Amino acid sequence: MKRIIIDREKCDGCLNCNVACISAHEEGSNFYTVNLGSVDSETRNFIKFDAKTGYTPIFCRHCDEPECVLSCMSGAMEKDPVTGHVKYDESKCAACYMCVMNCPFGVLKPDNKTRTKVIKCDFCEEKQDGPSCVKACPKQAIEVKEVSR
Amino acid sequence: MNSNFNCKTCASADQKLETFISNLSQETSHHRMEGQSVKCGFGLQGICCRLCSNGPCRITPNAQKGVCGATADTIVARNFLRAVSAGSGCYIHIVENTARLLKKTAESNGVLKGKQALAKLASLFEIDESDEHICAGKIADMVLADLYKPDYVKMELVEKMAYKPRFDRWKELGILPGGAKSEVFTGVVKTSTNLNSDPVDMYLNCLKLGISTGLYGLTLTNLLNDIMLGEPSIRLASVGLRVIDTDYINIMITGHQHAMFAYLQDRLIEDDVIAKAKAVGAKGFKLVGCTCVGQDLQLRGEHYQKIFNGHAGNNFTSEAILATGAIDAVLSEFNCTLPGIEPICDELKIKQICLDDVSKKANAEMKPFVFEEKENQSNEIINSIIESYQTRRGKITLNMLPDHGNDDTLTGVSEGSLKSFLGGTWKPLIDLIVSGEIKGIAGIVGCSSLTAGGHDVLTVGLVKELIAKDILVLSAGCSSGGLENVGLMSPSAASLAGPKLRAVCESLGIPPVLNFGPCLAIGRLELVATELAEAIGIDLPQLPLVLSAPQWLEEQALADGAFGLALGLPLHLGLPPFVTGSPVAVQVFTQDMLNLTGGQLIIDDNAQSAANTLNGIIEQKRKELNI
Repeated sequence: MKRIIIDREKCDGCLNCNVACISAHEEGSNFYTVNLGSVDSETRNFIKFDAKTGYTPIFCRHCDEPECVLSCMSGAMEKDPVTGHVKYDESKCAACYMCVMNCPFGVLKPDNKTRTKVIKCDFCEEKQDGPSCVKACPKQAIEVKEVSR
Repeated sequence: MNSNFNCKTCASADQKLETFISNLSQETSHHRMEGQSVKCGFGLQGICCRLCSNGPCRITPNAQKGVCGATADTIVARNFLRAVSAGSGCYIHIVENTARLLKKTAESNGVLKGKQALAKLASLFEIDESDEHICAGKIADMVLADLYKPDYVKMELVEKMAYKPRFDRWKELGILPGGAKSEVFTGVVKTSTNLNSDPVDMYLNCLKLGISTGLYGLTLTNLLNDIMLGEPSIRLASVGLRVIDTDYINIMITGHQHAMFAYLQDRLIEDDVIAKAKAVGAKGFKLVGCTCVGQDLQLRGEHYQKIFNGHAGNNFTSEAILATGAIDAVLSEFNCTLPGIEPICDELKIKQICLDDVSKKANAEMKPFVFEEKENQSNEIINSIIESYQTRRGKITLNMLPDHGNDDTLTGVSEGSLKSFLGGTWKPLIDLIVSGEIKGIAGIVGCSSLTAGGHDVLTVGLVKELIAKDILVLSAGCSSGGLENVGLMSPSAASLAGPKLRAVCESLGIPPVLNFGPCLAIGRLELVATELAEAIGIDLPQLPLVLSAPQWLEEQALADGAFGLALGLPLHLGLPPFVTGSPVAVQVFTQDMLNLTGGQLIIDDNAQSAANTLNGIIEQKRKELNI
């Protein structure tokens, strides 16, 4: 099973992972054309800055015991037994945001524009060469690693 | 994976060069490309601002303005105008030095090889003077006087040089430039912290800089150099790494200021200097062309057959040329002298000498060119190069590529030599365009880069597509270096052209891609376009002519591009010039420019679709002209 593993010592807070994530979820866009000028453009990963600890990349961990799945009443959140990735099905979502409240890492959020769905990492599963954020990190602060569980 | 480095070298349209570089034991730009492949999204869109200590600010979905309140539109426009100003400054530096050298050459009754260029400029500038040295001096004075004007005093030669309909439009738009050096200053001031925030004002300012860059930095540099160094004349020449002859002491030249080499290159073939070379075991000296100044030498190669061995390659071939081990010294006076040559020169004990401190390389000897001391300076340079030859040759392993390039590249094409070739009139070319034998003209200009598919990949791909559509290609810049090395400037390349263009090329014995030489020669393309438009009696935007800088690299290319847009020409770029983060920039460049100057920016990194778009524009313009 593959997970995105962070090494926060390496993070410079350049936000390229944000740009890559927005671009990956904006159809037909690339780094030149991705719309960064609108609050409708949503990133599924975040960089938190704090004067003491510096930059911390906040990424969905696709947890082994995912609180978002456990708290989801409509079945929109589901853990894939093969890949281990936590998947979100917008059509089943009732927008109760129990997942948002229960995520221990604060990575899930309602969408800015309609407030009717959850913004959630999909591990860029449709892309053959892995998550876009990882490819866009100039410091290799985020990496895809094989984990045992 | 590269055998000597833990990386994969980037692709090149030039397969032999790609293989050669991938096997080198020296690191080149082609090796470093992979390590730099992750790009910053904010940088690519031009929405990162580093103008104050509150920054760097970036426009993100959650932060739509910089701390100061600057929007994406303001940030992009400031960054862009800054880049255009810097690019303009580079070309204005070149024309300033060239004019100063012409003045000094004239004052000292030096050799003036280009009589036609002298007569042409004298007539253009309305100078009635029979003494050629006095006349040349006056020409230089008039150019310098304009360059040094303040920004609030318009340059006088613009009206004499520009095509009337263009001049009138520029006047209407209020973009006639003041003194070219001051305009660069204004561009830098406007874009500093919390000054101009009006994107449209800044883009109009870019057009103004485009005009001063184009008419002075490009067009006049060519013509002033022609006066001193001789006019181009059409001939076949050798190109590629094959031109390096190991029997000689080889000097690679890089830069854009041909006149700085004028005395030295003549001196290198005098008997006493050849004797010095022979005394250390070489047959003599040879200049090996690289970057644009190499293209300049090639263009005027007719006058320099003894000293110039041919053009080896463009900017991103320079490291490979040095890695052959057969170059004994690098003489540089401007860009594109890559910092990447430094460790290669150190390892292979290649002497580096800089003639102009604007391009001082970290480990090079600085020898600022002084006209009055050129005799002594040249002797010192010759002696130190001989010393370099003695220390290194025989000890450095040579790694030659003798089958690279070709011996039949058509060179020496200029506004003058092409017109003479056509019989002293543009009518034959106009007739071919009217009849559709030549559908239109594409000026493929600018640099070579390692993006957009790799070294010269998009340039070569696009040119092949265009000629297949019967569009004649005129090339100027480092793009020429790539196109000639892959054989597209050899007469046999006619077979790659569409049936109509092929027939024209074969009957005339010319290739479908005509080599105007250095990026400076974009000014020569402007002269050709203007003369064609004048002969037909239309304005430039009506011509079935497009420009493309498929692999533009640097700030100078952006200033060239601003000139192209000011001329009202469609301009294609492979990659966007760091402006796509601003909706206003995209609107101005791709739509509104059509109403301002008639120009238009087209961005496309796909050779096929870009060629289709350019072909569509040419066909539309033909329709509008009823041909």
